Amino acid sequence: MAFEFSEENRPKLENLIKCYPVKEAAMLPTLHLAQQQNGYITEEVMDCVAEVLEVSVMKVKDVVTFYPMFFEEPVGKYVIRVCHTLPCALRDCKKVLEYLKEKLGVDVAAEKDLSKGTTTDGRFTLMKSECLASCDVAPVVMVNDDLYKNLTPEKVDEILNSLEEM
Amino acid sequence: MAFIKLNDLELEVEDGMNIIQVAQQVGIEVPHYCFHSGLSRPANCRMCLVEPHEFFPPAGKIVPARQLATGCTTTVRTAPEDRKLDGKYDFIVRTDSPRVKQARENILEFLLIHHPLDCPVCDQAGECKLQDFSFNHGRGTSRYIEVKNIPPKKDLGPEVLLYSTRCIVCTRCIRFCDEVTGTGELGIVHRGSKNEIDIPRKHDGTPTQLLDNKLSGNVVDICPVGALKSKDFLFKSRPWFMKTVNTVCAGCSVGCNITLDFKDDGVYRLKPRYHEHINQHWMCDDGRLGYHYVNSEDRLQTPMKRVDGSLVPTSWADAFGMILEKLSAVDSESMAIVGSSQITNEENYLLRKLADQLDVGTVGIFGRNLGDEYVYPKFTIEADKNPNTRGAKDMLCQGENEVLEGEPLWTGLSGKEFVYLVNGTPERPIDETECDVLEKIGFLVVQDVLLSEVSELADIVLPGATFAEKDGCFTNSQGWVQRIRKSISAPGQAQPDWEIIQQLVKKLGGDIDYNFVGEIALEIAEKVAGYKDANHQQIGDQGILIST
Repeated sequence: MAFEFSEENRPKLENLIKCYPVKEAAMLPTLHLAQQQNGYITEEVMDCVAEVLEVSVMKVKDVVTFYPMFFEEPVGKYVIRVCHTLPCALRDCKKVLEYLKEKLGVDVAAEKDLSKGTTTDGRFTLMKSECLASCDVAPVVMVNDDLYKNLTPEKVDEILNSLEEM
Repeated sequence: MAFIKLNDLELEVEDGMNIIQVAQQVGIEVPHYCFHSGLSRPANCRMCLVEPHEFFPPAGKIVPARQLATGCTTTVRTAPEDRKLDGKYDFIVRTDSPRVKQARENILEFLLIHHPLDCPVCDQAGECKLQDFSFNHGRGTSRYIEVKNIPPKKDLGPEVLLYSTRCIVCTRCIRFCDEVTGTGELGIVHRGSKNEIDIPRKHDGTPTQLLDNKLSGNVVDICPVGALKSKDFLFKSRPWFMKTVNTVCAGCSVGCNITLDFKDDGVYRLKPRYHEHINQHWMCDDGRLGYHYVNSEDRLQTPMKRVDGSLVPTSWADAFGMILEKLSAVDSESMAIVGSSQITNEENYLLRKLADQLDVGTVGIFGRNLGDEYVYPKFTIEADKNPNTRGAKDMLCQGENEVLEGEPLWTGLSGKEFVYLVNGTPERPIDETECDVLEKIGFLVVQDVLLSEVSELADIVLPGATFAEKDGCFTNSQGWVQRIRKSISAPGQAQPDWEIIQQLVKKLGGDIDYNFVGEIALEIAEKVAGYKDANHQQIGDQGILIST
């Protein structure tokens, strides 16, 4: 099924492209916009982006596979990224991760197999992340675009409950 | 011009050259992988590090710069008077300091981290930059004890295989597809130590686009390691077992400069050779793979004559005897000589002599049908699939006589009693009108390399030689006269076409006696307009442009 930017996103896209001297430079924001709309980046999305930005499909694929923030497979409504870099590790992020795994009943998503970390109801995807740049409040977790600091299993419960309500 | 000091040498060099090129001029090798003079310079392999020097005011003297710089992106420029180093140098650089040597060792150790060291089974061994530089500049050992990445072998397209394990991600192939062909099929997937060269694929791994353009074979040549391999040449031969000659591709009228690798039993590989004005660094796949007919088992090995409707082998003496007999019975009005844009200038020149000897008025050129023209941003494949259309015309068209081509040729040939025709290409289909005309010719002599549609109609077939089996010159569409060189010998009793024609002219009483092709070229230089300097010595490896 071919992908197209929605009515709502098309003006946004045009504004984005205007911000850059060459169309190719709008690659990242365009991909973010596409992922926002489609949930994840499919072949069709890459074809569409390549056409819009007038580059080869391989250039788009290049960028999509480089960044872990672009998903090539379906993910849950909430993507939970647990930081596991040194300061978080010292502040016992492992406990947080294990707790989340138990609570959600999933494993951690693998690089090429995100379904491993996605709950069967499609609400959550659990993945590890490199440094989220908040070492002073370690351990941290990012849920979609929001950062949660100084985590303990109790706080994780709170977060999950608040997400349930949303 | 900039005045620079390279190691201990003082050099006068052109502005804008980079250190790799400058060093190359004086025979100093700066090892490099990602830099290729036909492509852009990303400076990502870090192999070409050199040590520039700069003035350090506190010490009041010239010292090595704090950081090494990549030779490929460090270009030489004339400095303003007040910025000259030591009062006279525009630039001072060392390529042999201990720091540079240490850096090379370290970079090589990194590059070899995931490299499988499978040289014994790798096609590139012997012409591999990774091997050469590891031997000349490497540490010899690695401190890496962790597990190596083993990415899969990939089929990229009809001509090219990718052994991802051997790849050092210099991105030459990617830049080639972006800049020279403009097709952009290749890219890098994933990140860091896991990155791989790849074509666009679906998530399940099935390719959505293949590396399938007319220039794809070039990525194999520019790959400095054994990652990209030609399917055609895969496991055929070790490079050191082959001999090499510099010659010219016979695939089309561009006349790409090539090297031809051969062994006693045949031609193994064609690779492009640099020529600034013709093909730069590249050649097309049609030319690259177009040599197979040379090695064909069906090559004509003996002269053949028609007996009871079918062609049977005979001897040269018999074949010449029959031709001479026929010639004495036919008057020159009903004879025609048809040269070929597949054979060399020298051979066409001799055909002209044959025509003069017999006093034949009808002279034509038998060309191959036109193919398609392909235009890429930095390369054009021409539609005329003959290497020597221009040269054949120049040679056959001496004096007042007009050389017939295409439609007029077939009208001119119809109803002739004796036609001497040279073909020389296996891929020349003939259409109905051509077939009609050829069938009605009283006595048709065809000089050919394989039994083609033309030679099937002949009364006598003479086995000639391909571009790989003889010396001579081609003139390309731009007017460059370039040499082809003999590699292997023609099969069986087949002979270079010029020798066949010479024998015939001699038997007809012609006063010629050439011992080698160069002698004919000397005569051409003397007699044909525009070819004044076109003797073999001056043509050399780079060719000369004929004056018009």
